[in-house]
Amino acid sequence: MDIKILLIIAIYSILIQNFVLTRFLGLCPFLGVSQKISSAVGMGMAVIFVMSLASAITWAVYTYFLDPSTSILGFFFSEETLPNLTFLRTIAFILVIASLVQFIEMVLQKKVPTLYRALGIYLPLITTNCAILGAAVLNIDGFSAIGLDGKLTCIQSVVQGFSAGVGFLLMLILMSGIREKLELESIPESLKGVPIAFIMAGLMAIAFMGFSGLSI
Amino acid sequence: MSYTIKLAVTLGIVCIIAAFALGGVYEITKGRIAFERERVMKEALQNVLPRAKNIIQTTTPEGKVYFRGFAAEDTSAAPVGYAILAYGKGYSSTIQALVGVEKSGEITGIQILFQQETPGLGAKAEEVLYGETDSWFQRQFKGASGLEVAVDKDGGKIQSITGATITSRAVANSIKSEMEWLKKEGLILSESDRLY
Amino acid sequence: MKRSLVQEFTKGFIDENPIARLVLGLCPALAVTTSLINGIGMGIAATFVLVCSNTIVSMIKGVVPKKIRIPIFIVVIATFVTIVEMVMAGFAPVLYKALGIYVPLIVVNCIILGRAEAFASKNSVGRSILDGLGMGVGFTMILAVIGSIREILGDGKILGFPLFGPDFEPVLIMILPPGAFFVIGILLGIFKWSDLRQEKKKLQSIVH
Repeated sequence: MDIKILLIIAIYSILIQNFVLTRFLGLCPFLGVSQKISSAVGMGMAVIFVMSLASAITWAVYTYFLDPSTSILGFFFSEETLPNLTFLRTIAFILVIASLVQFIEMVLQKKVPTLYRALGIYLPLITTNCAILGAAVLNIDGFSAIGLDGKLTCIQSVVQGFSAGVGFLLMLILMSGIREKLELESIPESLKGVPIAFIMAGLMAIAFMGFSGLSI
Repeated sequence: MSYTIKLAVTLGIVCIIAAFALGGVYEITKGRIAFERERVMKEALQNVLPRAKNIIQTTTPEGKVYFRGFAAEDTSAAPVGYAILAYGKGYSSTIQALVGVEKSGEITGIQILFQQETPGLGAKAEEVLYGETDSWFQRQFKGASGLEVAVDKDGGKIQSITGATITSRAVANSIKSEMEWLKKEGLILSESDRLY
Repeated sequence: MKRSLVQEFTKGFIDENPIARLVLGLCPALAVTTSLINGIGMGIAATFVLVCSNTIVSMIKGVVPKKIRIPIFIVVIATFVTIVEMVMAGFAPVLYKALGIYVPLIVVNCIILGRAEAFASKNSVGRSILDGLGMGVGFTMILAVIGSIREILGDGKILGFPLFGPDFEPVLIMILPPGAFFVIGILLGIFKWSDLRQEKKKLQSIVH
């Protein structure tokens, strides 16, 4: 296993192509739960957790069921009749994510009630968080920028999902810190709330563009 | 419990209906998608090898793919040119370009097939100015000597895109290295060969 | 208070505009709007999915068990998204390439699930179609506005046609990601400003 490429993926997903700032994924929770640092941390942790798991499971579903070249359905079909199911990708992924979130919610509620109390209210929101589906789709499409042109391996996918989640948490914390301060500032009435949050995000995106020059 | 099973069955049925509906649409559009993909490649090949009437894909024993262009349907004569895919690491993507070259080593055209460079900067490699039909950046390669392709900053003749030297360099250098491979294979001539 | 059919259609334009008022469906609004044509393409794709999913959801609203309605809605939406994906790949490959991963991501566009849950699952098929169309048009309009602003300022063009002379130095940042945030932030600010003004006028007219 090449550790270096994993590190590159992590740096790339957290800083260079931050999901929120350059791919605009997960904006709804980014604006919705970034008013207070405590809820930002809760949401971020829940996203990291679900995103890492979802990356692994969607990768396995794609590899072993949908992609005819690696499908285990090969046991039942001959080479010629083996169906190419890659067109079911979107529907399969969103179902996997929705059931995964439900499942995590049930398990946490029963087994780890403390964690459930901390993350519980954020979990239902995650199903429609486009960052999760985005991460799953990107794992299959690959990252041309860092020389990964095809589908990632399983480990790479999990690392990618995890670090994209970390990048999301980082943005949530930064944003909520800024918004807590903004509360006390005198800004034009019409820019209060969401509009100023967007403009702040734009400024942060400019700052993060500095990372895109990193040669990795 | 039976209620849960009923729910699961309902959901299962919905999924199966959806899967079959999609299967149907997939069968209908499959041919069209494949045709579209092939058309893009065919047009690109024709663009970079304007003199060729018949273009044949060749794979070397090492697994490297290139194309031979023939002046007529007949493939027994010597090819009029070769086309090859060049991959260059740009600023935010691997740029994939198709290059056509004649035996003399003169480039007959290039076409970028894939890039995800920064919009407004590197992405200008594919920019077609208003009123023109082809990209000004890619046009510069036409007529250049393949083995000497380089951007102006490296002493070459290719004018790089303002603010996107990395992209320009990636395209030029990846093309040059493919040309060197073609020369090593003995398919094209270098400047010094031509003198004799 | 029941809306007339015309109101059902036009409410999505301004009064309940998904982006401007409801602040939903932001990811595509920002990600793909580097040019007018991309914005319109995304808008049309989303409108198609919105109308189709609204239709089906309102048709099956009586038979869907309440507990699993959300998963079923998601399956319906995902089906239409995949259809759009395949049709686009076959018939509009350039647009398909430009929109990239944001085509499959229409599935998680909150507007679509939102309308299915909040409107189509409670109203007749006809009204649901009108609602979907209206919301789709409202969404497309905002995408077109953002796309035009970014293309004009960031590239000096509109639909590829140069607007200014060759000396125009484009404001590059506008077609880069930060520009998207600025444009939508300021647009939402303008919407809020006009709302506040109207409220003030209303108050004044009551006082006088």
